[in-house]
Amino acid sequence: MRKAFTGLALAAALLFGGASAQNTFVYQTFGGIDTLDPAQAYDTASSVAIENIYETLYDYVGESVTEFQGSLATDWSANDAGDEYTFTLREGVTFHSGNEFTCADVEYTVERMLVHNPSDGGVWFLAESFLGTQANADSFLGDDATDADYADYFARIQNAAECIDDTTIQFTLDAPDPTFFVKMMSDVARIVDRDYAIENGLWDGTEATWRDWIGVNLREYHLHDNASGTGAYELVDWDGEQLVAQRYDGYWGDTPAVQDVVVQTVDEQSTRLLAIQAGDASRVQVGDRATLEQLRGAEGVTIHEDPNWLSTTVGMVFFNSDINTDNNPDVGSGQLDGDGIPANFFDDANMRKCFAYNFDQQAFIDQVLQGQGQALTMGLPPSFLGYRDDLPVYDVDYAAAEEACQAAHGGAVWENGFEFTATYNAGNTTRQAALNIIKDNIEFMNPGFRMNVRELAWPDYLAYTDEGKGTMFALGWAPSYADSDYFLHPFYHSEGFYAGRTGIDNPELDALIDAARETVDADEREDLYEQVGQIAYDEMPMLPYPSPNEFIVTRDNVQGVYLNPMYGGQFLWKDIVLD
Amino acid sequence: MFAYIVRRLLFIPFVFIGVTVMIVLLMQLLSPAQRAAAFVSSDAQLKNLDAIIEQYGLDEPFHVQYASWVGEALQGNLGFSTASSEPVATTIRKRLPASAELALVSLIPVIGLGIWLGTLAALNRDRAIDQITRVGAIVGWSLPNFVLGIWLLVLFYGGLGDVLRDFAGGAFRLEPGRVSTEVAIQIANGTFPIRTNFLLIDSLLAGRPDVFWDALRHLILPVITLAATSSALIMRVMRSSLLETLSQDYVRTARAKGLRDQIVHFKHARRNALIPVITLAGFTLIFLLNGVVITETVFNYPGLGRWFASAAVALDYPAIMGFTVLTAFIVVVGNLLVDVLYAIVDPRIRYG
Repeated sequence: MRKAFTGLALAAALLFGGASAQNTFVYQTFGGIDTLDPAQAYDTASSVAIENIYETLYDYVGESVTEFQGSLATDWSANDAGDEYTFTLREGVTFHSGNEFTCADVEYTVERMLVHNPSDGGVWFLAESFLGTQANADSFLGDDATDADYADYFARIQNAAECIDDTTIQFTLDAPDPTFFVKMMSDVARIVDRDYAIENGLWDGTEATWRDWIGVNLREYHLHDNASGTGAYELVDWDGEQLVAQRYDGYWGDTPAVQDVVVQTVDEQSTRLLAIQAGDASRVQVGDRATLEQLRGAEGVTIHEDPNWLSTTVGMVFFNSDINTDNNPDVGSGQLDGDGIPANFFDDANMRKCFAYNFDQQAFIDQVLQGQGQALTMGLPPSFLGYRDDLPVYDVDYAAAEEACQAAHGGAVWENGFEFTATYNAGNTTRQAALNIIKDNIEFMNPGFRMNVRELAWPDYLAYTDEGKGTMFALGWAPSYADSDYFLHPFYHSEGFYAGRTGIDNPELDALIDAARETVDADEREDLYEQVGQIAYDEMPMLPYPSPNEFIVTRDNVQGVYLNPMYGGQFLWKDIVLD
Repeated sequence: MFAYIVRRLLFIPFVFIGVTVMIVLLMQLLSPAQRAAAFVSSDAQLKNLDAIIEQYGLDEPFHVQYASWVGEALQGNLGFSTASSEPVATTIRKRLPASAELALVSLIPVIGLGIWLGTLAALNRDRAIDQITRVGAIVGWSLPNFVLGIWLLVLFYGGLGDVLRDFAGGAFRLEPGRVSTEVAIQIANGTFPIRTNFLLIDSLLAGRPDVFWDALRHLILPVITLAATSSALIMRVMRSSLLETLSQDYVRTARAKGLRDQIVHFKHARRNALIPVITLAGFTLIFLLNGVVITETVFNYPGLGRWFASAAVALDYPAIMGFTVLTAFIVVVGNLLVDVLYAIVDPRIRYG
C-alpha cells in the first residue's frame, strides 16, 4: 500500500509537478500598473516596470537623491545662465528591439513628450522647463489659435532638443531652471526607441502630423503595453494583471544576476502575506506597520529597515484661509457664533497655531507609525536641499495653544467657540488619525470648541477640495523629481498647486520661492529655502505631520536591497541577487 | 418555440438601451471632477484636474456622452478601462473565460452536492441526517465567502503549505492565482500557447497535462468556497421540491403498484422534483458567470468580478458600461436557455 502511494506521488510529480522558477524574482504589489508608456505614466506601480525597462541620461547612485551617475549619457554641462544643457551620449548601446541608441532617440523622446503632454501624465513639469507652460498645445493656445500659432509652438518644441552631432544633445530651456537636471531623471524622460515607436504607429516625428497627437491618451497606442528600451530588463509580456520581464542579454552595463522578473497585482493583503511566507513571492508590498508586525520573525522572510529610510511623501494638514462657504455643510452657520466658522477662520495665524499646538507628534509616531517616523519642521523631506532641522516642530503644548486661541480673531473664538468639520479621503487611516488627534485635544481645551471629522470618497474629495470647500483637510505630496521646489512651490506659493485649496497668499514666500527658481547656485537656493522654512514656522500656514520610516519585505535569499525614494520599486532589479 | 426564442432575442437591444441609459443617467449625478477620479490615482495628478475633465469630455451633457459611447460601441469599441489598463473588449475577452471556467467547474459540485444532500434530507425527513444537512446548509449559506476563503488559504496555503509543497514535487500545492509563476512565465513568453483563454481546454489542445493540472489545482480552493455557499440553496430547494413530489398521487400510485422505493424515488419522484432545481441552477450559473467578486479577490483570481469591483470603486465609466452590457446579455440569454431547458425537461410547458 505504502509502495503504491509512493509510486503514485512520484508519477504525479513527474506528470504534473512542472519545473520550479529558478532565478526568478516575483514581486507582489497592490494597485496595478497603469501604462508602460513613459510619456503617459504618472503612478508608482507603472514606475516599477518603466524604471527597469527604460533608462534616463543620468541616474541616481544607490540610495542617494543628491549623487548622480551617467546612464545613457557620460558627461553633461550647463551654460552660466542655466538655460542650456548639453549631454554627451553613451556609445555602443542598443535597444531591446536591436536598434542602435542614437541622439535622434533622445531628440524624439523630448519632442514626443512635449507634443503629447496628456493631461493625466507627468510631462507638465518638463513642459514648463522647455516651453514655459505646463499645458499641451491645445490647452495653451486655446480655441482661437491660428495655424501660425501652432506652427510657432511646434518650432519651439523642435528647438527644445537639438542633436549637435551623433553623440551630443543640447537642450534649450524657456528660462533658467536649476531643477532641470533632476527633472531629466524622472520616468517621463526615459529614452524611447524612435524607430520602434514610429514603426508601430506612434507619432512619426513630423510637423505634418503632430497636431493629431496633442494630448492623446497614449494608453490606446503601442507603447502602452509594449516596450523597447535600453534597460537591463526587457518586457516579455504584460497582460494588465501580471508583468513578465527577462534579463536583456545586450545590456551595455554589467549583466544582471536575476534572469526573470514577475510583477503580480495581488489586491488582497492576506494573500500577499501568505505568499511571502510560502516562498511564492520574493517580495511583497505591505500596507502598514501594524500588518508588518505579523511578518516579523516569520521563517524565510526578511524585513529591511533603516533609520535613514524616511518617506519622501510629505503628509500635510491644510488650513484653508479662504473657505468656499456656498452650500458647504462643513462650516455650520458660516459665522463665528459658536455653531460654525466664517470663510476667513484660518486666515488668522493665531488660529492656525492654536490647532498646530494641539497636534501630539509623539502620539502620532507611536500610535500610527508604530514608533517608526520623524516629525517635520516644514513641508519638505529632510533629505532635500534647504530643510531646516534646527527649527522646532509644533508639538502639543496646551499653554501655547490656549494663548494662540485667545488671541485669534480678537478673542471672539475663545469667547464664542466654533464648530466645523475637517475632511480626509476614505480609507486613509493615517490622515484620519492626524485629524482625530487634533480634534481630541482641541475639544478638551475649551468646551465651546467642536471639531468634527468626516471621510469623503476619493472622487468626492477631489471635487470638494477643488471647489475650495475644504476647511481643514489632509493630503499628501510625493516627489516626481528630487528637488525642493517640487514641494515648496505647490505648498507655499500663491500660484502653487494647493493655493486654490488653501488660499495661501504670502508675497514674502512667493519672492523667496521665485528667486530660488532663477538661480542655479545650490548654496544660494539652500539659503532661500531655509528662509522659506523660517516663515513656514512663524506663520504656520499648514501643518506637516510626521513622515514614516519606510521598509521593504523580501525573502531571505534576496540580496542587495536598498531604498531610493525616487524609484517606484525602491531599487532596480539589476542590482539584486537571489542566493 | 422557435418564434418565442427569436422574440426574446429581439428584445436584447432594448434591454441594452435601458441599462446603459440608466448608467449614464446615474453618472450624471456626479460632478465632472468626481468622474475625473478614474484618471487621478495620485495627489500629484490633482494638479491637472481641469485639463483631465476637458480631455476626456467629462463635462459634456448627457446626450452627447451617451451618443458618443453608442457610436463607438457600434463600431466594436467599448472604450478603455483604466481599472484594467486595456480596452474594455480586451478585458472581457480575457476575463470572461476565466470567470466562466471557474463558474462551470464550480457548477459541478454546486449542483451535485445540492441535489445529493437535498435528496438525502428529503428521503430522511426529520431524522438526524435531515437535521444535520439542514443546519449545514444554513451554516454554508450564512458563512461569508471571504471568511471561508481566507480560512482555506490559511489552512492549505499557509499551515499545510510546506507539507503540500514537499509532497510529490509540489504537484498537490493549493495556491491562489490562476496558474503558478512557472506557467505564467510560459504563457508570457509564448512557450505555452493561449487559444481560447480557457486554460483547461488550451492545455488539452496543447497536450500539456502539467498545465491542465496546474490550472485545475488553482481552482480547487475557490470552487470549494463557492460550492459551500451556493450548493446550500440548491439543497434546500431540492429537499422541499422532492418532499412535495413524494406526496403527489402518481408517486402513491407507483408505490401501490409495488415498485421498489429506489425506483419510485429516483425514477419517478426525483426527475420531477428537479424542475425548480434546473431553474435555480441556471440562475446560479448566471450569477457565477458575472464574476464572484469576493472569491476572485481573496484567491487573486483574474476574473470579471475582481475587475468590475476595482472599476466601480474608481468610477471607471467605460468599464462599468461594458460590464453592464455584458451582464445584461448573460442574464437575458441565460434566462432564455433556462426557459428552453425547462420546456425540454417538462413537456407540459409550451412557449408560443
